[in-house]
Formats: sequence, structure tokens, C-alpha cells
Amino acid sequence: MDCRETQPLLTAFHDGELPAAERVRVEEHLRGCPECAALLADLARVDRATGVPDPGPAYWDRFNARVMDRVEREADGPRVAVLRPKGGWMRQQLRYLVPAAAAAALVVVIVHYGGMRPGALTPPVQPAVSERTAPVPGSEWTAKAESAAAARPVPPSAPAKERVATVTREKQDRLADGQGWPSAGAGRDATGSVAPAAGSPPVTAADGMTQGNQAERKKVERAAVPMAEQQGAGKATSAPGMRVAKEPSPGSPCELARALAERERFREAEDAQRACLAQDRSAPAQEKGLVFLAELLDRQARFAEADAVITEVDRQFPQSRPLDLYRQQRPMVQKRKE
Amino acid sequence: MRAGLEGEKDERLAALAAGGDRDAFDALVTRHRQAVYRLCWSAAGNAADADDAAQETFVRVYRSLPSYDPARPFGPWLRKIAWNCGLSVRRDGNAGVPRVAEGDAPEAIDPAPGPEEEAVGNEERRRVAGAMAGLPAELRMVMVLRAVEGLSYEEIARAAGIPAGTVMSRLSRARTRLLAALGEGSGGGS
Repeated sequence: MDCRETQPLLTAFHDGELPAAERVRVEEHLRGCPECAALLADLARVDRATGVPDPGPAYWDRFNARVMDRVEREADGPRVAVLRPKGGWMRQQLRYLVPAAAAAALVVVIVHYGGMRPGALTPPVQPAVSERTAPVPGSEWTAKAESAAAARPVPPSAPAKERVATVTREKQDRLADGQGWPSAGAGRDATGSVAPAAGSPPVTAADGMTQGNQAERKKVERAAVPMAEQQGAGKATSAPGMRVAKEPSPGSPCELARALAERERFREAEDAQRACLAQDRSAPAQEKGLVFLAELLDRQARFAEADAVITEVDRQFPQSRPLDLYRQQRPMVQKRKE
Repeated sequence: MRAGLEGEKDERLAALAAGGDRDAFDALVTRHRQAVYRLCWSAAGNAADADDAAQETFVRVYRSLPSYDPARPFGPWLRKIAWNCGLSVRRDGNAGVPRVAEGDAPEAIDPAPGPEEEAVGNEERRRVAGAMAGLPAELRMVMVLRAVEGLSYEEIARAAGIPAGTVMSRLSRARTRLLAALGEGSGGGS
């Protein structure tokens, strides 16, 4: 064995991880080669110098009590995201708890301002066509107004009531186009992102957990965002109640996945998300990205594949918080697709 | 710590703690807190985040004990949680900004160095600690688990979720970089 063969084996030799036969051969070489012996000594030197700054005895004296304090604080209330998640823990918690309340609040708002029957919230198939072709009484917004809506947003100075009425009309138009609103963004804005997808039972005001007042609506807008946002993708919203879905613009696959999911183009979003996962291999990106992928699969009713992804997240990231959060939301997602 | 718990295996302590035995949980924390802290430090790259992540690790462990299966080894399970917590903290607050306080020498590894050796050793440790903070987290992790915790390649592979061959190549890269840092400071090595 010469130096060229020996040197790649020195790390494993130093760590005692070399099979016995190779070990003997390396030892033989080292006896006659000062250069390789010096390299080996350097490895030992680096290891000796490697350490982690110790915080000291006073730190350790308080450590256990601090853990228990934290455990007890969490036991007293909702599970607190101690790790300072982006957007604050309240937003994190509300993300999955509020959609039901948000849906009810939306219905109240729509019924009150938009003059719709609750039942009409279920994405229509035939009736929508007539809605699309007929101008909506009392409004200049029509089915073709989607692009116009972008060009002519309601001025910020418009009264809140008017804005809500306007976006409600937008929602009607969108439903008429058979698009519905992105369920991935359930609760994000009251314009319809909380509207049930096809097949889900209509939500009625009687189901409401809260009143559809403006304050509640704004709270919901702030609180509930889709899983995709956990990936830190770019913003896609404008002012509350003013959101108009745009054609996803080219950007990173992660941003594209999010934008497509918001348009309920889950199959394409899935492809983009897979590309996103391949691009960013860091553990946090993988953890959150895989959870989002599972959600995209669930939204396509590919539950078995979603299960496999979730199992993989479990394996790689035990006690994953993003997965925990998604598990709370998952029954709702699946129910929509059943 | 309650008498008699010191000799108990981790898995037994975890089972007791899952049943509500606070002393058993306390014993687990005491036993593993330093290794958890070091692993969190290797993920986060600085003391403040390592502290946050180490605390969070045990909070998660406590919360998860009811679902922990004592038939599974406790150590790898704990390490996995600690590593994830360390990375989460870094991502949330200080991504890619490792810090090492000036003059912050890591704890001594040599059991009983003489005064002169100790001075040299401290200098080298400081230098390596600085270089460690500049390493990518995945290299820091294998280095800490191997050189500080003394884990086998197999154990490191399990903790990091990578093949054992990758452990070796990462260790090799980490040591090369740390050695370069030592060499720079001492004018070319030992």
C-alpha cells in the first residue's frame, strides 16, 4: 500500500472504523512513511482541539428548572412555538384553527353584503353560467371583470363595507368561471379563500362560530395563511380584501409551487414543489417542503402518496412541528376531496 | 435527583417520566443536557441559539414521552430532536450567522494537560472553535458527534440521516478545514 492508497483511509483509520484487514495494511504503511504518520497525528490534533464552548456551572445549575418552567408554561395554555416562528406563534396556531370560524364569518359577510344565499357558496356548475352572463344587479362587476378587477381596484379610501361588497362580487365571478378560490389559502382573506371546494357541504350562517364583523374578518386575514407560506415564498397578496389571483410568474420553484397552489392547480404545484425540494436540501426546507408536498397530494386526493410523504417526514424529523400543524388541518383537507 | 435513578437506563427513565415521574425526567435532562447542548450548538453555531434549542429539545421530549416507545433506543431519538431544534432556531432567527465569543475557549478535552500544554491547547481550541463556527452545520455536526461525543459512524449516520460513507467524507472535509485553521495560526502546523 502506498501513500495514495493510504491517505483516503486515514480518517476511518483514525476513527477506528476501518475493517481489520485494511487496518493492518495501513499500519504497515505508517511504520515506514513519516508523511502519512504526520497526517494521522494532525487528525488527532484537530480532534483534541475540537470542542464546544461550555456555558459554565451556573448555566447548568439553572438548566433543568428552566426546562420545567417552559414545560409548565406550555401546559397552561396552547402549545407555544418557543422557537420564534416567523409571523409569531399566534399566527401559527390560528392558521389551522381558524378556517372553520373564518368560513362562517365569510358567509355572514357575504349574506349580509353580497345578497347571496348561503347555498350558493358551493361552487356552482350550471347556475354559475347564468350568473356569469348576466350582469349582477346593482353592480358593474361582471363575470369578465377578473382582469378589470386587477386594473380597477376599489380605492383604499372606499368604505370597508363597499370593499367587502366588491370582493364578494369578485368571488361570484370567480365561482362562475368554475375556478372557485384557492382552498390552500383557507381563511387568508375573506374574499373566498375560505369557500368550500367542490363537494363539500355548504356552510351556513347557522354553523358560524363567530360573527362576520370586520374586525373578525381582518383577524382571519392576518391569521390564516397556507402551509406554503411556511416556506418563505414570495408574497402574493395585496391589500386585504383586494386580492386578485394572477398568473404565477416565473421565479423559484418554491414560489411557483405556492402560487400554483393558490390557484388550486395542485398537480402543477406538486411538480414545482418537487423541484423546490430538489433545489434546497437544507433540513428545515426539506421538513417544511415535504409537509407542503403532502398537502398538495392530499388536495389531489392522492392520500396514500401523501401518507408515504408524511411517514418520511416522521422518519427524518421526529416531532416535526410543521407536520404536527398539518396533521391538525389534514382531516379538513381530505374531507374536501372525498 | 432521587436516589436509585442514576443507574437506570435511559429507556426506563423515559418510561417512568412518561408515567408522570418528574424525578425521572429530571434525571434524563441532567444526564443528556450537555450532549444535547453541544449538538444544538453544532447546528446553530452560537451559544444563545444553542441554549434556546437545548431547552426546546427537552420540552419536545417531555411532550412526546407519551408516544415514545421504550423498545427504541433513547439516544438516537433524542439526538434527532436536538438536531432539528438546533436547525430550527438557526433558521428562525440567525440563519447562517454563527458567532463565537472572543476568547471563548471550548471545554478541555484532554483529561489532565500540564500548564504549558494547557496554554497551547487553549489557543488551539480557540482557533478551532472559530473555524468550527464557520463550517457548514452538517460538517460541524459530524465533527461534534465524533470528536466530542465519540459516536461511531453508524450512530452519527443515524442521527444525521445520512449513509456512513457520507459521515466519513464529511469528517474528512471538516478536519481538513479545521486543520487549515490550526495551521494558519501556528505558522504551518505542529
